[in-house]
Amino acid sequence: MTVRSGSSVYRRRWFEFLTPLGQPWRLILGVSIWVIFFGIWEIAVLSGWVNPLLVPSPVDVLITLYELFAERGFLSDVGISIARILGSFAVACVIAIPLGILMGSFKAVEAFANPFVSAWRYLPAPAFIPILLMWFGTGEEPKLALLFLGVIFFLITLIMDHTAQVRTELIETAMTLGGNRSQILWTVVVPAVLPNVLIAMRQMLAIAWTYLVIAEIIASTTGIGAMMMRARRFLHTDDIMAGILTIGVLGLLFDVMFRWLYRVLFPYLDQGER
Amino acid sequence: MTSATTTAGVSAKLHLQDVSKTFRVRHGDDIEAIKAVSFETPENEVCVLLGPSGCGKSTVLRMVAGLEEPTSGELMLDGHPIAGADRERGMVFQAYTSFDWLTVQANVEYGMRLNAVPKKERRERAAHFIELVGLTKFSQSYPKQLSGGMKQRVAIARTLANDPTILLMDEPFGALDAQTRWHMQELMMSIVEAANTTVLMVTHDIEEAIFLGDRIEFMSRHPGTVHEEIIPDFKRGKRITTKEDLIGLDGYGDLERHILKLMREQGGDDTDH
Ligand SMILES: Nc1ncnc2c1ncn2[C@@H]1O[C@H](COP(=O)(O)OP(=O)(O)OP(=O)(O)O)[C@@H](O)[C@H]1O
Ligand SMILES: [Mg+2]
Repeated sequence: MTVRSGSSVYRRRWFEFLTPLGQPWRLILGVSIWVIFFGIWEIAVLSGWVNPLLVPSPVDVLITLYELFAERGFLSDVGISIARILGSFAVACVIAIPLGILMGSFKAVEAFANPFVSAWRYLPAPAFIPILLMWFGTGEEPKLALLFLGVIFFLITLIMDHTAQVRTELIETAMTLGGNRSQILWTVVVPAVLPNVLIAMRQMLAIAWTYLVIAEIIASTTGIGAMMMRARRFLHTDDIMAGILTIGVLGLLFDVMFRWLYRVLFPYLDQGER
Repeated sequence: MTSATTTAGVSAKLHLQDVSKTFRVRHGDDIEAIKAVSFETPENEVCVLLGPSGCGKSTVLRMVAGLEEPTSGELMLDGHPIAGADRERGMVFQAYTSFDWLTVQANVEYGMRLNAVPKKERRERAAHFIELVGLTKFSQSYPKQLSGGMKQRVAIARTLANDPTILLMDEPFGALDAQTRWHMQELMMSIVEAANTTVLMVTHDIEEAIFLGDRIEFMSRHPGTVHEEIIPDFKRGKRITTKEDLIGLDGYGDLERHILKLMREQGGDDTDH
């Protein structure tokens, strides 16, 4: 008996352990769940199961989204939100990356900084909103501060852990080749941990969106969250849903951007071209 | 103190005198890994540390590398006490240590870059050692694209290109399949002859020890110490380049049997851990 690839000799079933799925099927299945979701939603609205005032149909939401951008200057709200995210996240990274790497590399730095960092991790950032509002009023500062507090301590810890996991043998190899501490830090530890730093940044940027919306909903007149709170006052559920959709799409875009950056910055990790 | 001498009167490159190492463990009893280890390695010889698992071979090697501080005793290289890691004692590990973010060539140049060797000389030396380990075709590849044996050859070339006084290797071929290991041993043999290096290596492969070793320090457990120094003098004056050359020699079988017997005595009851 001869077995050719694609022959029917081998069993093919829908649900199989340890068997990867082809790219076309991944795409089809991934799109279908959204089609089903929006389909049920649309049907629910059209058939009158739900109050269209509280739940507008997906088509209405898309139309509203278009109007928001085209006629009601929503783009500037989106721009402000993105600027807040990027600004505070950049500051958090500038502190967290060097500090996390130093804490993961040198026990003395860890012993000094970690008791502080760990404690802050257990304080939910929104707990600081009242005091931030008292200190900074309703300007940009309290929003940036909330975002900063929400991500920095987790970012430091993630980077510290990844750095501590850089393989001992790599560092010891460099030591027996005559490397001094700063050489080893820059030529072994940093390049070894950089891919994981990027992954940690990607994870924490997703969290940053959460704090952004909280900040904008509670105390802001600009940004995506503020637009949604304004809409609530006038029962514009379609505006609110368009805002949610925008946040979702932006989150996805940033995620895609980070994946792309990972591939561009670390091509040597790609085993595909064997 | 000046350079020590062996009984044969040859100047010893490496000299260990009553070296002991006790690991302090936070919970539980201290572990006396090594007790009163003494041996010498003459210049340009390959010295093999052989013995059952857990007898402290890696610990001895790491102390020579300067990665572990002895509890007591004296370690000397060229008459100078060993204090910390240094380029004069380059080490090849059992686990792969290629830097994934550097090409093969950049990996081999790495040590020289740390030591500020001029670019031109770096290039030339790297090319020479990459050729020596047979990876010229792969000099622009990244380690992820190489097999295990090739990665280990990169590590050897990287260490040799850095021009160490003594080459340290901890079971460098332990993770390789039998055939690759065999190729690597023959490659090592030719490199050692061509480059005239002093080597201290750890293995628990008896054949490898006899094939590569000019002297074998057989270590025992409980305590971890040198039990017997074996000099495979049946090889003396013979030119051995392949495993077949070795196995065909008179005296090989006897020595292998002798070491097997030692192994059985020492490693029979594997009761710890
Ligand atoms: N960092 C450490 N802390 C505590 N104990 C250690 C440490 N390193 C080694 N030991 C102990 O020292 C003893 C010798 O270990 P070593 O790794 O040197 O043995 P080995 O001869 O290289 O063994 P193998 O052939 O399995 O590699 C072992 O009992 C081990 O548990
Ligand atoms: Mg070992």
